[in-house]
Formats: sequence, structure tokens, C-alpha cells
Amino acid sequence: MSEAQGDRGRGDESPVRRELTDEERRRRFAEEVLPHLDALYSAAVRYTHDRTEAEDLVQDAMARAYASFHQYEPGTNLRAWLYRILSTTFISRWRKAQRRPQEVAAEQETADDGEEGSFSLFDRLAASTSKPAEREVLDRLTDEEVRDALGQLPEPFRMAVYLADVEGFRYAEIAEIMETPVGTVMSRLHRGRARLQRALYAYAARRGLVTPATGGAVDAEQEPASDG
Amino acid sequence: MDEHCRDALRRLHEYLDGECPSDLETIIRDHLADCPPCWDRVDFEREVRALVARHCRERAPAELVQRVLADLRLQEPGHTP
Repeated sequence: MSEAQGDRGRGDESPVRRELTDEERRRRFAEEVLPHLDALYSAAVRYTHDRTEAEDLVQDAMARAYASFHQYEPGTNLRAWLYRILSTTFISRWRKAQRRPQEVAAEQETADDGEEGSFSLFDRLAASTSKPAEREVLDRLTDEEVRDALGQLPEPFRMAVYLADVEGFRYAEIAEIMETPVGTVMSRLHRGRARLQRALYAYAARRGLVTPATGGAVDAEQEPASDG
Repeated sequence: MDEHCRDALRRLHEYLDGECPSDLETIIRDHLADCPPCWDRVDFEREVRALVARHCRERAPAELVQRVLADLRLQEPGHTP
């Protein structure tokens, strides 16, 4: 590509940026980007559901990041920039290849979740007959159960929850990474967290960590003492 | 649960995400300080988030780090592979 020419000498395109030699660029990339590799790999595992594919995704995304590192403005949000590249790399190469219709279906986004949209793990645990301390149930869930619970969510919900709860990104950053309006991010988070709690409850119930209150009533709406 | 509780809990997630306008954040914080049941609920939500964070962090395999480093050495900047 012709951008490579701009790297040598002239440096008149951007008054703030001193042009870097290849060696400087490489060193800076290694210093600034490689510390994010663990986090990017964790995110890649959530995207792909597979460790080998996650490695390929990160490697691919890093190659793209390096190729466009000259477009990154020093001092701006490097993490968000990297996650955005990870996201676009995933979308362009993996999502298409994976053909997971249940994940790409746009109607997921707008579908009415019904009671799923307001599931409260806290209320469910509080309503269980055996009444273990709510926190104790959380502590007894395994690594695998928590990861699977998150992994079950459709991709837009899963990644919104991951970016917010694991990586601590702000709504505006997630919007940038996912290339979607902030309102959509909030809706994905709201519904994703409710679905996640529902999945966690299902694991807890399956393992007998909680005993659902009464047989059929479990799926009924159990708003906490809404009549005061 | 009275209407103060309902008002506070309606924006619970935004509050925990640090995305509430500051006046609302103050109202919610004050309410939580006065209302143990609401505090307990909000604290539980915080713990669920911490749970996910705790279980979903991975370390990049050493081979991956090596692969990325090897790519850096081979690659000319400005070229999309």
C-alpha cells in the first residue's frame, strides 16, 4: 500500500506526529500494545468460543493493528482502538465463516425478551426454599459454569457484557468498539445481564445449589414485594 | 420497598456502571446509605459483575505472544497481510 511511502522522511501530513522509523514503530507497538495481549485474547475467546481460533483472531487483529498503527493518535484511547480492530477482524473473517444464524440474526436485537428482560438472580435466590446465602451460591459456581453462562448469550449481548463487566469500558467506548449507538449498548447490557443471571441460576439449580421455591412457579414473574 | 427504592433501583445498572448524571448518583448513593435492603441488592449486583470478571480473564498462551512478535519482525508497516 502507498501509506508506506509516507513513513519515510517528509512527515508533512500530520504536524503533531513525528514520522517513525520501522524500528521505532516496532518498538513502540511492542511496548504499548503487547501489554494488552492477555485481555485481547480473553475477549477473543468470548468471540470465537474456541482457544485455537482465539489465538488466530488475536494474531490477525494484531497484524491489522500494526499495519494501521500510523493511524492511531498517540494519547487517545489505545484500548478502545485495539478492541475495535479485534471486533472488526472478528466480524470480517470469523462471523461470516462460523455461520451461526442464531447469533447474527438481527431480530435477536429487537425481539421481545418478555420476562427474560427483567430476570433478577437476587430475587430468585432469595425465593429458593433452601435459602442459602445469595453470595454463597455465587462463590460455588465454577469457572466453567460462569464462562458457559456468558458464552450462551448471543454475541452482541455477550460482548457488551464482557466489555463492560470484565474490561470496564464505558458505554461510549463500547459504542465505539461495537460501532453502534450508546442506546443500543445500554439495551444490550440490560438484556445481556438479565440473560446471564438466568443462565447462572440455571446452573445453580442444576447442581442443586438452590432448590426452586415450588415446582411450576419458578418461571412466573417474581417481582419483589411490589405491593410494598 | 417504597417508591424511593423503586426510583433508586430503576437506574441501578447505570449507577454501578458509573454512568448516572451526578445529581442522580448522589440521590441513589444517599438512598443506599439509608436503606439496607437496597444496599444489599445493589451490592449483590456488583458481586455478580465481579464474578464474571474473575472467571473470564485469560492469559495469552506463550505461543501466541511468540507468533505476534514474529509477525512484527516480518511485517512492513502499512501493508495489510
